[in-house]
Amino acid sequence: MALEVQPPDGRKRVKVYELKDNDWFDRGTGFCTGQILGVSCRVLCAHWGSCDVSSRAIPSASPSSSVTDQLLTRRSLAYSSNLKTYPIACYSKRGSPRTMAIKNNRTLIVWTEQNGTDMALSFQEAEGCAVIWDFVNAVQQHLLSLTSADDALSDDLDSYQSIVLPSPELGNLPEIEQIVRAASMTQGGRDALSKYIIRDEYIAKLVPLVETAEDLESLIDLHRLCNIMKSLILLNDNTIIETVVADHVILGVVGALEYDPEFPTHKANHRQYLADKSRYKEVVPIKDPLIRRKIRSTWRLQYLKDVVLARILDDPTFSVLNSLIFFNQMEIVNHIQANGPFLRDLFHVFDPRNPDQKRKDDAVQFLHQCAGIAKNLQAPSRAQLFANFISHGLFAVIAFAVKHLNPAMRTTGIDILSALLDHDPVMMRGYMLKAVNEKKTPLTDTLIDLLHVETDLGVKNQLADAIKVLLDPQIPLQDPLGRAGPDYFKVRNNNLLSDAFVQQHFDESSKRLFQPLKQLANRTALNDLTFQEVTLYSHLVDILTFFVRQHLFRTRNSIQSESLAPRVAQLLRAPQKHLKLVALKFFRTLISLQDTFYQALMTHNNTFELILDIVYETMPRDNLLNSACLELFEFIKRENIKPFILHVVEKYREKLENIIYVDTFQSLILRYDQMQGYGAEADATLFSQDESNAPRRIPLNGQRWQGAREMDPAEEDYFNTSDDEDEWTQDRVATADEHSSGSTSAVVKPLVDYPDDDDEDIMDTKPEGAEQQPVASPTEASTEAPASSPTQNPPAPPERLAEKRRREEEDDDELSKLTAGPKRRSSTSSNSGAFNMNRKSNLSAGSLADKNASPGVLNKVTSAAPKRIAINIGSTAKSPLSETDTSRTEVTSESYEKENPNDSQGNEGG
Amino acid sequence: MSDLDRAIEQLRACRLIPESQVRELCYKARELLIEEGNVVSVDAPVTICGDIHGQFHDLMELFRVGGDVPDTNYLFMGDFVDRGFYSLESFLLLLCLKVRYPDRITLIRGNHESRQITTVYGFYDECIRKYGSANVWRYCCEVFDYLALGAIVLGASSELEPTSNTALSSMPIDDSELETEVLNSRGEVTMSTYRARQRSSSDASTDSRNISPPRDISAAPGQAAAPSRSGAPGTGASGDGNGSAATSRTGAVLCVHGGLSPLIDSVDKIRLIDRKQEVPHEGAMCDLLWSDPDEIEGWGLSPRGAGFLFGGDIVKQFNHLNGLSLVARAHQLVMEGYKEMFDGGIVTVWSAPNYCYRCGNVAAILELGEDASGGGTVARSNGEYGRSNGIVADNRVVSPGRRYRVFEAAAQDTRGMPAKKPVADYFL
Repeated sequence: MALEVQPPDGRKRVKVYELKDNDWFDRGTGFCTGQILGVSCRVLCAHWGSCDVSSRAIPSASPSSSVTDQLLTRRSLAYSSNLKTYPIACYSKRGSPRTMAIKNNRTLIVWTEQNGTDMALSFQEAEGCAVIWDFVNAVQQHLLSLTSADDALSDDLDSYQSIVLPSPELGNLPEIEQIVRAASMTQGGRDALSKYIIRDEYIAKLVPLVETAEDLESLIDLHRLCNIMKSLILLNDNTIIETVVADHVILGVVGALEYDPEFPTHKANHRQYLADKSRYKEVVPIKDPLIRRKIRSTWRLQYLKDVVLARILDDPTFSVLNSLIFFNQMEIVNHIQANGPFLRDLFHVFDPRNPDQKRKDDAVQFLHQCAGIAKNLQAPSRAQLFANFISHGLFAVIAFAVKHLNPAMRTTGIDILSALLDHDPVMMRGYMLKAVNEKKTPLTDTLIDLLHVETDLGVKNQLADAIKVLLDPQIPLQDPLGRAGPDYFKVRNNNLLSDAFVQQHFDESSKRLFQPLKQLANRTALNDLTFQEVTLYSHLVDILTFFVRQHLFRTRNSIQSESLAPRVAQLLRAPQKHLKLVALKFFRTLISLQDTFYQALMTHNNTFELILDIVYETMPRDNLLNSACLELFEFIKRENIKPFILHVVEKYREKLENIIYVDTFQSLILRYDQMQGYGAEADATLFSQDESNAPRRIPLNGQRWQGAREMDPAEEDYFNTSDDEDEWTQDRVATADEHSSGSTSAVVKPLVDYPDDDDEDIMDTKPEGAEQQPVASPTEASTEAPASSPTQNPPAPPERLAEKRRREEEDDDELSKLTAGPKRRSSTSSNSGAFNMNRKSNLSAGSLADKNASPGVLNKVTSAAPKRIAINIGSTAKSPLSETDTSRTEVTSESYEKENPNDSQGNEGG
Repeated sequence: MSDLDRAIEQLRACRLIPESQVRELCYKARELLIEEGNVVSVDAPVTICGDIHGQFHDLMELFRVGGDVPDTNYLFMGDFVDRGFYSLESFLLLLCLKVRYPDRITLIRGNHESRQITTVYGFYDECIRKYGSANVWRYCCEVFDYLALGAIVLGASSELEPTSNTALSSMPIDDSELETEVLNSRGEVTMSTYRARQRSSSDASTDSRNISPPRDISAAPGQAAAPSRSGAPGTGASGDGNGSAATSRTGAVLCVHGGLSPLIDSVDKIRLIDRKQEVPHEGAMCDLLWSDPDEIEGWGLSPRGAGFLFGGDIVKQFNHLNGLSLVARAHQLVMEGYKEMFDGGIVTVWSAPNYCYRCGNVAAILELGEDASGGGTVARSNGEYGRSNGIVADNRVVSPGRRYRVFEAAAQDTRGMPAKKPVADYFL
């Protein structure tokens, strides 16, 4: 039923008005044209300029309000995507035409919208007005006749939705493109178009045109076909997308998409890629035809998503593609794991009697791909898949792969292992310990041996990561639901091996693992380290650092029995800077643990001397190594870790004094002097009287070590076994309670203001704490500002003094329970005279406070203190927590996922 | 032609280099970056660039507009990877250029140069897709850990040399100097602003010369031949020293990816960070890479979930305390390519045009000219940093002349088909 009406040619300049409160409001200027689209007709108004033409102001002579509404919602979209043309009036065959009037010297068309709004189009020329008026009238007449002829349909929406495309011929392509594009702009149009396309199997009909057009070398038709295909895919309809990847259609579709008009000089070769059957690799044939089809279409979907449509995909289509892929994969994986014979065949490939190496490699790749897909699956089905694989012998496959001659295969093998480890480290450790229990060679031993000899640096890296997780002495408490597989409880039971056994295994593995490090003892010079050795050592120290951080006491055994710390210290002298850095990181971690055992380790070696050497070496230069050293000492200063301050200043005072390019070292000395009163001896008695055993021990030990810098092994043993032993047990209790950084353990609490810091840290991890921080900081800035810049003090020393004073006042506050704020600030600027007195009272105050460190007092202190601390040591208050905290939060990725949406939406920056 | 030059050629053509070469490149880069301070000292002239985000062809356009390496000195403020389809090519090219011309190009770390972020936003997947394993991703992440956290630009001129091909060039009156200029990608001036010349600038500089030592650190004797990166003794120190008091009439420019941190009140404090780590979730290092300026007072919570929002008062105070005239940062999409805030105290530079291939924005780079006058230089002694200036000069720090070159996404013909590489062989 073709329309006899001819659309008016040429664009007519118009202004659009809306009647509001008896006044006509200018809604913008544009061009007006008439168009016939299929069976519906529109008056289109292309606007330019004033973008505030609100959608409802577009005069629409549409007979149907529902259609109008949909048009309106789409309209804003069209606008934002810079499509300047959109329909302003729409007639469908079922519509009853609205009352329209032509007025005002025949330059004005006026009508009333469905919602009662009066609208007007004001034409520049009467002639243009007449043309449009005639067109509208003609369409209305036509529609009226249709309405009377055909009354079967009742809903205007339906009628609108029944879009009909011209028959798929090259000659019709411009029209098809036009209709498709127009329909895509409105939701109604999209729905109607989708329905039509599916019902009519239109895509399959379009496909032959690609070849025809290619034969004719008609580039313009090919471009049109490409546009049509794009639009159809972007209709974002599941069924259409599924059709597109069907066997008989896919090549035609991607064929059309090879001719992107946006890149007229390029032609992609999607067809060649997709048609290449050699990419299909079937290790073990999958017989189910349905699954085979799913596999193929999944692969095509991925290709569409990643390659063909990568640039033009909008978010909805992207997610439709993704979810289609996801559901396909789920079905495929479910099929595979439920298919017993298939799995048997698959793992049978690895039978040592099978000579076909290539097939084995392919099978590894296949498993690798399964593992990769499994990552996206939900935890239960993933657990089931892995459990199935494992029971069929996945570990043997991994062992096969990691020993492969080809580094790429080794990588693949470890990737599979990593997938398992990511999935459930507890389960993996369970299997490993089970193997140990059954006197089989555990996987860890294999991996460790490989790590020692591996030459491919990438693989080595992966091995180190895997070993870290496998031997991770701290078994995280995870949500058991996350891995509730069939094997779950069985494995759990295996996992309930005695702690002693776990410890023993850990010790043995560590011994094996750190053997190369231990052998460093026989080396005097490190100048001849090979590249491989350097890499190995940095991995080993990195692993050791990880162990120490993860678990305070489990690692102690091996560090002690293998005397690893001196070996790591040795590496501080290595010429390779990054190796130094790794070693430094190890000691920095030890320091942050604030654990007496590790403190002793560091102070009874010449570790600090070596670190200071690095500072000297790098000194005036501002580089990474130097900064790392500074940060280490800064941390000691900030946390006021007494044993280290005492040790460092007592032994290396002169060295420290010579480093003046930053004030860190001077303030360490200052801190020391402050602690000591006027001499070390007086201090020793002071401490021994009123402090707990830890600080008492320190000067004692310090003296003992001062005599012999390098202890012989016997002495070392003595040290390690005698007085430390009981402290360990104490410490163990403490850490079991605290479970975190251990900094609050009873033994290492030498300073009065420690608990505050720690509590502050803990508070900070809560959201409120985070909020508090920024609020407090400006105050910090404002208190510091007057102190440093305008008074023109030399920057460093006064700041130090000020800070010290504030600290003392804190002590005062604790004693007398003074309130914070204003008083402190005034005293900051004025109490230099009271310095000495303050210091004295500080010392006694400190000891007093510590003595009555009853919970009550502590609580009071913490309730008042945190804010102040944030102000006082501002820049430093937060970092220690971040140090310990990263290790904690790294495990849980949720916190990051939280910020992902933020990042991806509004803030654009990303 | 050395291997490196060959690799550069290859990457410029948007073709990847083999994995073994990537590894070697990353190790070389590591050796180089380990010598850089957390805040790298850079001498003007330099061109400051914002986010790239793997838009390789637009990076090429950037080089076309801004001049090629090594003819132009560049400072990239991070976010080389993720989102775009050519993160690998872009980052590896920049890294190659860094290794080849260490003094000509400076790379600092953005929040996307992190293991956690790259696994979510595409770089990880790209590495897997293009190299078949995560090894290259690991090498790159290792390099990320070594990247500097910021840079400080010294010796920038307060006045721009007017661009020649403009009718405006004759316009400047004697008592005004060209402060900012905006050029389109064809080099045509589209906007310029002037400011009144400082009550005879020579007066001011003589004044300050009497009290404060250096005026142009970059030209310090014995330094002229030294590389501008931190390796040379004293450069780092002087950079920090500059943080303590204003010494040159044109204040230094601090470049970071995100912004300021409540934990960092002076540039010196940045030096005390051990930067070789994954970007933490909080703390000074995190803030430098994540924070955003905002029209607020003081500090605010960031909607990003990391870093903070900071207001104009914070910027003003920070700049004042550190003798800075400007903070240049990236991190946020700005439709015009650059956006100055807080009376020119901070500027956002964004260098990824048509971000994500669909945002429709233009990109910009910021050129800072060299202070040609260069007089009144006093060498600063090593190891004495932050101390040599007990006296603070008059604090009328003048912001540097800023030339923004705005450019659009690379023309489509030259760009080829942006697409991801197809997935490899498949079994499923």
